Amino acid sequence: MNALCLAATSFMQPELPVASTDDDVVRAAIGGDRKAFETLYRRHADRVYGAVLRLAAFDHARAEDLTQEAFVRAWQKLESFRFESAFGTWVYRLAVNVALMSIRARNADPVTIMDDEHLPDITSTDNPVRAIERDELEKAIAALPPRARAVLVLHDVEGWKHEEISIELGMAVGSSKAQLHRARGLLRRALGETP
Amino acid sequence: MNELDYLRQMRSLNRPVTPHRDLWADIDARLGEAPVIAHPRRRRAQPWLMAAAIAGVAVLSGGVGLHLARPTGSDGMASTTQPWKPADPRLSGAAVELDAAHMELTQAMKDSPDSPALQRLLLRTERQRDRLRNFEKQAG
Repeated sequence: MNALCLAATSFMQPELPVASTDDDVVRAAIGGDRKAFETLYRRHADRVYGAVLRLAAFDHARAEDLTQEAFVRAWQKLESFRFESAFGTWVYRLAVNVALMSIRARNADPVTIMDDEHLPDITSTDNPVRAIERDELEKAIAALPPRARAVLVLHDVEGWKHEEISIELGMAVGSSKAQLHRARGLLRRALGETP
Repeated sequence: MNELDYLRQMRSLNRPVTPHRDLWADIDARLGEAPVIAHPRRRRAQPWLMAAAIAGVAVLSGGVGLHLARPTGSDGMASTTQPWKPADPRLSGAAVELDAAHMELTQAMKDSPDSPALQRLLLRTERQRDRLRNFEKQAG
């Protein structure tokens, strides 16, 4: 009877309680439980996707690729998770890093680098101090040069400090500040405001 | 738009976004192919290993100290060679080096008096010192 019970339970994946903490689920995932990892994906996908989408110039197809890549890497690196931070924070940072690496790779291609002259004019300038629609703001951010956009999104949207940005983007703190200043100027111009 | 409005609008973009489609199936398919990267846990230094290393260094340095402090015999080769101090400052540095080498070789030869390699090195050192003495004489 006992042997039968053991045999039966060995075929069944233990269901994780809905209220399991991330740490419990991560431990199960580290043990190779993909259902547990799916739970983690379901809990954190939206936050990760949102951050990646903003860095990917609101390009949904790219954001999907980057999100997939981020979760695959998270699975690969799960053993290195030390439980010192929340899993959500860890996977978010990992995803941002994946997105920034993608930006760096694309920066090598001069076609994707846009300068001030090539910045598309997406605004009507008849009322420069009106409240900006979110959609319009997203379009303006998307049109920024990749590096400037990355700094602007990380600093002004995600709330990162220049020190953190400089480490992730491999630039000096001063360069991060300069990029932010430039990005804000470009954004205001794109939105039809005087800098 | 003032600075505050600007920042408020920017921060309003910081929100979770649900992907247009469920990405899990694609991720799950890739997990099977993706090799898990092993991250070996950092090893803590073993206390006994550190203690052994410290003891080893202490014994070694003590042994060297004792070896150097051991008085050379009155008939030892080192005692037959007086330290030479050339007047010319350009030669004095080389002389100190040669004297030190000579002393170390003679010490080593007490342990291995028949070593041809040590004998060769000692001979070469003495020749170099002779050459240096000649330089000093030529320079006046």
